[in-house]
Amino acid sequence: MIFVFGGAYQGKTEYALQEFGAKTVSDISEAGEPDFSKDVVTGIEGFVSRCAEQGAEPSEYFASRREQWENNILIVTDVSQGVVPIDSKVRAAREANGRLMIYLAKEADQVHRVFCGIGKRIK
Amino acid sequence: MNVLISGGCKNGKSMYAQRIASELAACGPLYYIATMIPHDEEDRARIRRHLKERDGWGFETLEQGKNIAALIDRDDVDLRGSFLLDSVTAVLENEMFPVALKDGRIAFLGEDEDAPERVRRELVAFASAVKEAGGSVVFVSDGIYGDKGGYNPSTEHYRRALANADRALAKVCDRVTEVTYGITEEWK
Repeated sequence: MIFVFGGAYQGKTEYALQEFGAKTVSDISEAGEPDFSKDVVTGIEGFVSRCAEQGAEPSEYFASRREQWENNILIVTDVSQGVVPIDSKVRAAREANGRLMIYLAKEADQVHRVFCGIGKRIK
Repeated sequence: MNVLISGGCKNGKSMYAQRIASELAACGPLYYIATMIPHDEEDRARIRRHLKERDGWGFETLEQGKNIAALIDRDDVDLRGSFLLDSVTAVLENEMFPVALKDGRIAFLGEDEDAPERVRRELVAFASAVKEAGGSVVFVSDGIYGDKGGYNPSTEHYRRALANADRALAKVCDRVTEVTYGITEEWK
């Protein structure tokens, strides 16, 4: 699995498609669950927010489906900076996002960070 | 040579950018593109502080808070010089959210939806024109993409537009540097 992260609007998906020759994308930023039959699963932070709203732990969701995403490219937007959100649900989502990113970074064969459309392998 | 510098707020981007711009000036003119359009005493005080900080560096100040491409055709501007544009963030703000003074108070005129594309095009045109002439531009922007977001639509449009401007500049710049508390990371 290749884990790609970076801030909002930095060109993470575009980078993954170009860098790794990926063809198909499952975008779950607005709705739905990951479709691991696609090369790339992006917008995972949106899925994390929806899990957190229902009290579910997204890192457990991923841990229990490990064999399904072992050969995927997983993309998560980094939301760890800035002021701690005042809304408890948003705060929970931000923390769950961080836990998931730590887990994915640990499990990944490669980790890439994207900045201004430029990617860099950091693991 | 064109350089894009970004990173968090108050991380030392401006000081680093000043140094790079003056190194790139070699023997040509050194310009500071002043992007802040002052509206009140607080703004004017900030500008006086910035002027003081740049004092002694040899910068010639060009007032251009909007319409950056207009610099290309100005008779008093030598494109072989070294330009410091601080910041992309301010230029985009000035163009996306124009204001007017009404009875001594600042009035917002609404969001200009054509501004993101126009600003991106003008910044790239300016970078290309200066590079072609043999000069250099150091662009300073702001990394405002790592937080939880959830802003109102105007702010989200602004964030997206700034990211797109940065990405377009990253493509035409020879160097892209992220500054974190004075420490630099080279991305390109």
